[in-house]
Amino acid sequence: MAPGPDPNSVGDGAKRDEATTKVPSKDPKKKDDKKEEDLSEEDLQLKQNLELYVERVQDPNPELQKAALESMRQEIRASTSSMTSVPKPLKFLRPHYGTLKEFHKNMAESDLKKLLADILSVLALTMSAEGERESLGYRLTGSEGDIGSWGHEYVRNLAGEIAEEYTVRQGEESSIEDLMDLVQQIVAFHMKHNAETEAVDLLMDVEDLDLLLEHVDRTNFRRTCNYLTSAAKYLPGPDDMLVLDIAYMIYIKFEEYPNALQIALFLDNMQYVKQVFTSCTDLLRKKQFCYMISRHGITFELDPEMVENDVDREMLQDIVNNTKLSEGYLTLARDIEVMEAKTPEDIYKAHLLDGRASSGPSADSARQNLAATFVNAFVNAGFGQDKLMTVPSDSTSGSAGNWLFKNKEHGKTSAAASLGMILLWDVDAGLTHLDKYFHTNDNPIIAGALLGVGIVNCGIKNDCDPALALLGEYIDKEDSSVRIGAIMGLGIAYAGSQNDQIKSSLSPILNDAKAPLDVIAFAALSLGMIYVGSCNEEVAQSIIFALMDRSEAELGEALTRFLPLGLGLLYLGKQESVEATAEVSKTFNEKIRKYCDMTLLSCAYAGTGNVLKVQDLLAQCGEHLEKGDNHQGPAVLGLAMVAMSEELGLDMAIRSLERVLQYGEQNVRRAVPLALGLLCISNPKVTVMDTLSRLSHDTDSEVAMSAIISLGLIGAGTNNARIAGMLRNLSSYYYKDASLLFCVRIAQGLVHMGKGLLTLSPFHSERLLLSPTALAGIVTLLHACLDMKSIILGKYHYVLYFLVLAMQPRMMLTVDENLKPISVPVRVGQAVDVVGQAGRPKTITGFQTHSTPVLLAAGERAELATDKYIPLSPILEGFIILKENPDYREE
Amino acid sequence: MLTVSVKWQKKVFEGIEIDVTLPPYVFKAQLYDLTGVPPERQKIMVKGGLLKDDADWSAIGVKDGQKLMMMGTADEIVKAPEKAIVFAEDLPEEEQATNLGYSAGLVNLGNTCYMNSTVQCLKSVPELKSALSNYSLAGRSNDVDQTSHMLTVATRELFGDLDRSVNAVSPTQFWMTLRKKFPQFSQLQNGMHMQQDAEECWTQLLYTLSQSLKAPASSEDSDAVKALFGVNLRSRVHCQESGEESSETESVYSLKCHISHEVNHLHEGLKHGLKGELEKTSPALGRTAVYLKESLIDSLPRYLTVQFVRFFWKRETNQKAKILRKVDYPLELDIFDLCSEDLRKKLEAPRQKLRDEEGKKLGLQPKSSSKDIDVKMTDAEAPSSNEGGESSTAGQQEGASSSSEKGTHMTGIYDLVTVLTHKGRSADSGHYVAWVKQESGKWIQYDDSHPSIQREEDITKLSGGGDWHMAYIIMYKARFVSM
Repeated sequence: MAPGPDPNSVGDGAKRDEATTKVPSKDPKKKDDKKEEDLSEEDLQLKQNLELYVERVQDPNPELQKAALESMRQEIRASTSSMTSVPKPLKFLRPHYGTLKEFHKNMAESDLKKLLADILSVLALTMSAEGERESLGYRLTGSEGDIGSWGHEYVRNLAGEIAEEYTVRQGEESSIEDLMDLVQQIVAFHMKHNAETEAVDLLMDVEDLDLLLEHVDRTNFRRTCNYLTSAAKYLPGPDDMLVLDIAYMIYIKFEEYPNALQIALFLDNMQYVKQVFTSCTDLLRKKQFCYMISRHGITFELDPEMVENDVDREMLQDIVNNTKLSEGYLTLARDIEVMEAKTPEDIYKAHLLDGRASSGPSADSARQNLAATFVNAFVNAGFGQDKLMTVPSDSTSGSAGNWLFKNKEHGKTSAAASLGMILLWDVDAGLTHLDKYFHTNDNPIIAGALLGVGIVNCGIKNDCDPALALLGEYIDKEDSSVRIGAIMGLGIAYAGSQNDQIKSSLSPILNDAKAPLDVIAFAALSLGMIYVGSCNEEVAQSIIFALMDRSEAELGEALTRFLPLGLGLLYLGKQESVEATAEVSKTFNEKIRKYCDMTLLSCAYAGTGNVLKVQDLLAQCGEHLEKGDNHQGPAVLGLAMVAMSEELGLDMAIRSLERVLQYGEQNVRRAVPLALGLLCISNPKVTVMDTLSRLSHDTDSEVAMSAIISLGLIGAGTNNARIAGMLRNLSSYYYKDASLLFCVRIAQGLVHMGKGLLTLSPFHSERLLLSPTALAGIVTLLHACLDMKSIILGKYHYVLYFLVLAMQPRMMLTVDENLKPISVPVRVGQAVDVVGQAGRPKTITGFQTHSTPVLLAAGERAELATDKYIPLSPILEGFIILKENPDYREE
Repeated sequence: MLTVSVKWQKKVFEGIEIDVTLPPYVFKAQLYDLTGVPPERQKIMVKGGLLKDDADWSAIGVKDGQKLMMMGTADEIVKAPEKAIVFAEDLPEEEQATNLGYSAGLVNLGNTCYMNSTVQCLKSVPELKSALSNYSLAGRSNDVDQTSHMLTVATRELFGDLDRSVNAVSPTQFWMTLRKKFPQFSQLQNGMHMQQDAEECWTQLLYTLSQSLKAPASSEDSDAVKALFGVNLRSRVHCQESGEESSETESVYSLKCHISHEVNHLHEGLKHGLKGELEKTSPALGRTAVYLKESLIDSLPRYLTVQFVRFFWKRETNQKAKILRKVDYPLELDIFDLCSEDLRKKLEAPRQKLRDEEGKKLGLQPKSSSKDIDVKMTDAEAPSSNEGGESSTAGQQEGASSSSEKGTHMTGIYDLVTVLTHKGRSADSGHYVAWVKQESGKWIQYDDSHPSIQREEDITKLSGGGDWHMAYIIMYKARFVSM
């Protein structure tokens, strides 16, 4: 391992210092000559003294030698406090380094020799040539005294040399025991002196992070772990897991369970999650853990070992199952006063466009009504009321029925399903509303109702499993639209649940020779979602067989892309685990082989920030292909998926995409806006916004469509006025082109999603955790957008509802010990990166004080503005339980 | 016997007893009593699916105290509306076109923008369209020559095509017949057809139509085109030298707006245009003398066409040069003061009515009773004046279109409906574009094959004074008031 793989590591910094201090040594003579003339009297005195010591050291008399060495040590120690310039004693001793070295070599073994070695070790700090590691060498032969006595710079330099030495010895496979002793000392020294980052760097270099556990204490464990978790993002291969493991152990050691849980979730290690529950005894804190798990969107069963009391367990399980999400969201909505339902016209704001859309077309346009259906669904998502679908049905079968029938054929599916979106997370009310649609004999409506049931149950688990009970009945119906409705509903409702029962009913469809392609495609996709990131062999096999059974013609269909995607989702974020399947995919028909390869690669490394994979994918994008190859689309999306996890990589990816846009082929260009949309999802960065705005007027209509949808994605749930304005102008620009106008409408709906209370970002907990189901939902939509014309603009527009998997309130809601919402003042501001900074820096900047519940925008962080309560989790997002502060005194 | 609780909507029914020996249908009947949901519409979730009516309780494995969930409503089932909804996408192409709110553009066949813009402007006159549709192929009267007939038919066809099509129409047939009828439009330059003066095209086309649309065997009054566009002018010709004075009447299809240094506004230009000098032989003096001619409008057309006299023949350059001067024109034109005394009288009553109506709209209800009386008095006057003029004005109005209601009166107030603009420095070059107001109130710019929506403010900005499009021929539509 190369020393200092981390560009930020202090090891590197130390080396740089060392290099600069060495510069004068290149021509010491000349400099010294000049200096000698203008030395102050004091310095002259010092110089003469030192020269005298050097002479005396070479004196045969051991007494005199010793005295001289002691004095020399005195002089050096007294001056090594700062390294802004080379300390004078070291400077004056420079001409004598060679002599002393020579003398040391010939000295007999004795205490004095060790003493001299100590001094030489310090002198080597500025004088030894690079790569010689003399400082370390002399240190090892020296007297092994207190390492800190020579100052920080010396220790830092030593740490750097140890790392180098370690690499060399690893190569030679020689013993490293003597080094480890030194490492122990150095780490102890660093940890005591607020230099946790350096300690961690050294230990990472010598691959012995376990040592850290002995040295952390209550005062520095937080900073240490902070550094560990953020460094993990930049580490290759298994090292990052190792680092996080250590961080987890430290957190557990200091009973910082919420953080430990966070890391356990990041590692996707259920054993660790369980350990958090068993180690913690406080019920209230466990409730907080449950909220964190529910936000992550994984299925998790509590067992008696974790929570003994049955009643308590049931209550905690309810939290994990997200049953209270709807309530909390509505609390937020009421507090912000946005309960009033909005119509699509409220979103389009046609009156702001000068006179253009004043007189609408006389007849209903099915396409525009469909767009309005989606806009209505997105905007009123989760509010339980709207002005099209849920209007009280007192006026003869209700205007709800009327709006439903204002959609054409397959449009009715999306319209019925939009009810599910409006009543999102409210299972009881949702099922009540959807029930009546089950009794019609209009197949698209039934399909929509089924899908709606799935959407209502998205992220919510219920003991009675209503979704499974209802949808299970329809999986094998005759009509393929009904089947797709049921299958997709199951996929959405049970994403990430790894439910065996569903697997046994969906898998046979995949290998049913009679099943139509679209049913098979959606079955594969749903299985991929249900088993997302599970690496489940059986499911993988089924999908692989299904892919092999496709005829040449079927492989050319747009929907076939969902088969490789379903397969890819199984390995979402699982890195190397995908390799076996990737090998198998090489045997596929060449029409789909590359597409599959790219999809698998991008899914497996999604959210890892793996630079090598980014390069692989970029290389794919750079090729100029024959017509008909379509794998570059997923490659571009893959680029975004891999790079999206951390800020630096994200910025680099955005820049790379600019290049790709300029030099890439048309099919690459079409995917670029989508990739940008994924990178900045629900995070409207101005630069990206401008790029997309430019592309939305592209001469290639598909590029323009992707760009428009992406504008919606980056602004999703933000109500961003600038994007809203852009889209409004686009709506008048494209008023004649029905397809583009449809895209503009969808984007408008996305921007105002949940009236601005929702986010699509799959990242949460200060961008550390990536919710696999959320990412799966977004990626599915993006893949569908690669062939906009045949999927979203065709009859499969309901794939837009896959976004529901990523929809989460971007709120911070504080609750008391009885889980009742309470309002407390909080400061909300831009998050500041405090990793590795000295002291106790402020974590937010430019803050404003609000009362909870509050909305958190991308990159914002909240902190409590009162001492009256103590939050049970340090990450103030989502539901936060507050405990009264026993030490609080009213002023 | 088991006791379970059932959750339905937001309610929970506690302590419902299940007799496991009876089929689940009995249980559903119990729930029917509680919820009012008929058993066939009840969906009860149990492990592994829905509870079937004839299932075996022991196989389902319901435990004592278990919570069951029931779904179902007694609501009415959604029914499709009896009248199927018609979607724009299902409509045949021609209806989609009307759906768009404006008709298609015309393909430029090579410097034919003068013709395209003329056609687009004239097409916006519905009365002309209906007159054309009444024109039958066979109904050619003897006094119409073959080419005029063909041009009329071609115009009718072209108007029809434009209404039906969504995409730009190619006016090939029309162009051929136009060139046949008026060979001057076939002028070639470098092998290309030359740009022509739109005004010439407009005038010639209207003239042809007026000839062919004359209803056979009927009086002069039934000339549809004349009824629509014709302006009767009564002129007083006065010779200053001799003091002779005579009056003559003439009928023109458009008013001219002369542009001189003093003219800044359409109104001034019109006034200017109605005054003129002419030289003719004076019978009194026995030689040619300068006569002053002052014209006033004697009858109003439904569509008032105004031509800006922007081009004049420049001998030096041998081309029609253009006056770029900015001349404002209003969206609403009142030509009352250009009318003759007789006409003014006739207009007074309708104008009063119009003012009242507008006043009402603005919330200025007639406050005092005296105003009411005022109105009544003018009302009383109106019929008498109307009778007098029936033969000339009213007769023309009615003749123009049989659909026009009785009792509607001209007010002398006109609304702008089309603007034909020219961009460029001479009439035979540059580019012509038509700007047409639709019935919906939207303005559409027809730039050959590209119709696009414009704002009303932008229409008034076509008044010239730069190199932007500037109005050349504008057309106003009369505002009527019913009495």
